[in-house]
Amino acid sequence: MARRATDWFRLLLRFAFAGLAGRRGRSGLTILGMAIGTASVVGVVSIGLLGREYVVSLIEGVGSNLVFTYAHSRSVDPEWIDFDDVGAFRRIPGVRDLAPVLIDSQVMSVRGQAQPVDVLGTTPAYARVRNMVLVAGRFVTDQEESSGEKVAVLSQDLAQLLAGTTGVGGWIRLYDLRFRVVGVYKEGVESAAAVQKSEAAGVTAIVPLSTLRSLSQRRAVDVVYMQARTPDAVAGVVRGVTEVLRTRHRDVNNFEVQSLDQYLVLARKVSDTLTLVLIAIAAISLLVGGIGIMNIMLITVTERTRDIGIRLALGAHRRDILMQFLLEAGILSFAGGVVGIAIGAGVPLYLGAIYHVEVPVSSLSVLIAFLVSVAVGVFFGLYPARRAAAMNIVDALGYE
Amino acid sequence: MTAPAPEATPARVIRMANVAKTYGRNGANVAALRGIDLAIREGEFVAIMGRSGSGKSTLLHIIGLIDTEYEGSYWLDGRLVSGRTAEELATLRNRTIGFVFQTFLLLPQMTILENAELPALYARDRSPQECRAIARARLEEMGLGHRLDHKPGELSIGQRQRAAIARALVNRPRVLLADEPTGALDSRTADEILDIFARLHRDGATIVMVTHDPDVAAAAERIIHVRDGQTSDGLV
Repeated sequence: MARRATDWFRLLLRFAFAGLAGRRGRSGLTILGMAIGTASVVGVVSIGLLGREYVVSLIEGVGSNLVFTYAHSRSVDPEWIDFDDVGAFRRIPGVRDLAPVLIDSQVMSVRGQAQPVDVLGTTPAYARVRNMVLVAGRFVTDQEESSGEKVAVLSQDLAQLLAGTTGVGGWIRLYDLRFRVVGVYKEGVESAAAVQKSEAAGVTAIVPLSTLRSLSQRRAVDVVYMQARTPDAVAGVVRGVTEVLRTRHRDVNNFEVQSLDQYLVLARKVSDTLTLVLIAIAAISLLVGGIGIMNIMLITVTERTRDIGIRLALGAHRRDILMQFLLEAGILSFAGGVVGIAIGAGVPLYLGAIYHVEVPVSSLSVLIAFLVSVAVGVFFGLYPARRAAAMNIVDALGYE
Repeated sequence: MTAPAPEATPARVIRMANVAKTYGRNGANVAALRGIDLAIREGEFVAIMGRSGSGKSTLLHIIGLIDTEYEGSYWLDGRLVSGRTAEELATLRNRTIGFVFQTFLLLPQMTILENAELPALYARDRSPQECRAIARARLEEMGLGHRLDHKPGELSIGQRQRAAIARALVNRPRVLLADEPTGALDSRTADEILDIFARLHRDGATIVMVTHDPDVAAAAERIIHVRDGQTSDGLV
């Protein structure tokens, strides 16, 4: 029985292909219409994914699994994060790395001109936690941190201002003291704008935390960056930090504890919504392609009225005729789906290869677009096929 | 499933009792057939004769199971076929009836071999290879062995009608129905086709042929006259 069913299917497939072969140009155009719909859906998903990846990479570029905390200064009697708090943060399970940051500002003399400079005092972990990229030299070492040495790592902006006067291996003057320049950094991505202004951006020099601490006589830090061990540990670290601050500062709600998760969730939600809207628009072209199939199949059924009548007179069952025309519509939409995927996935991949961009092509979207386009074809082919199958034989044979 | 036919003997392939058909709805009704009684025995060569509009074609369509909207009872091969489902009728039509039309009604985009194998393929009880072999054999019997891969348009009208006869005979039907089979042919080709019918009849085929031409009807062994949707000599 199974063999007979496949034989039957193969037979009707043969009839369907023969029917399509009789009108190649028309079939080709119908396939093209369907292909454009499918390609739009696949392409739009790629564009959506690309935008999403870009936004997410901007946010994640600030630092992976990042948690940060800072105190608001707006209250009348503000509490600050002190070094004992930082010690307590270190003991929170799930914290892999931690970098407290002191922010101070100084005025340097650059070619006789006064130049304001942000001075960041932080530990070597900062470079890891905040995804700093070294442009030249090296970052502050643990040894320099523990002995409070006067070394500085310059931001790229500052290094450019100083170009020609000093550089890596040279000296700059801060707090009326000579700091040896050991490196130049830039941020991993120009990302902080996605969240808020980064303290490391602009004209900045990074010095060991211990050095700045003794020079500035500060007892509190401005911000503490922590890196959780895993993405899953981020929430636990946020809770742990909040808990530490609450117990150590008698429930003064003066602190902000944040992770990038909320930004990531928001960014993903926004880009997913945008992608869905785009898919909905692309789906309209798929619908138009489907209507194209229905249109062409209705014309075909009308043109082949006598053909259908003859087949029925020779003993074809109504379901044979139904299936034959449904298969013709299915073949058109199947071919349209294949061509559409080739265009919708091929063009982005080709452009990506030319411009050296990693273009995401979602295999799920390809699969769904393909299945939907075939389903659309079969759905829109159903009405013409039913009309073919329901034909009055005597009328179809051309009798009055 | 099989209701016993009155006076049905195995010899009666076609038996109709009081078959009527009315065309048109909403008042303007035209009666095409009014109470036809008909019996055709196995192996008979019958001509149904009548003028244009007499209802003879409608009668043939009902016999051939392509017109199913009628009143009355019709037994084909001893089985009551009036009131059966479209699916049952399609199977019966495929296995029991062979059609020959005035304008051949071959599918123009197919070769005559592909045309002739269609009834066998739609029967779904043989492999495609067997269907092709049977179709080839029938076409060879009709003297078209050298034209198998030709399309109807590439053949003479006589060859086309012979291809159509081959197609009608592929499933070895119980009844061969011919609707004005010589209507589109010149007299020499018409004689050729009538000779084929005579030969098939000698070999035992049951043939029902509709014609308006007394000369053509003369080829049959029995003539049933249809006038104004009625017949007086349908029964034997």
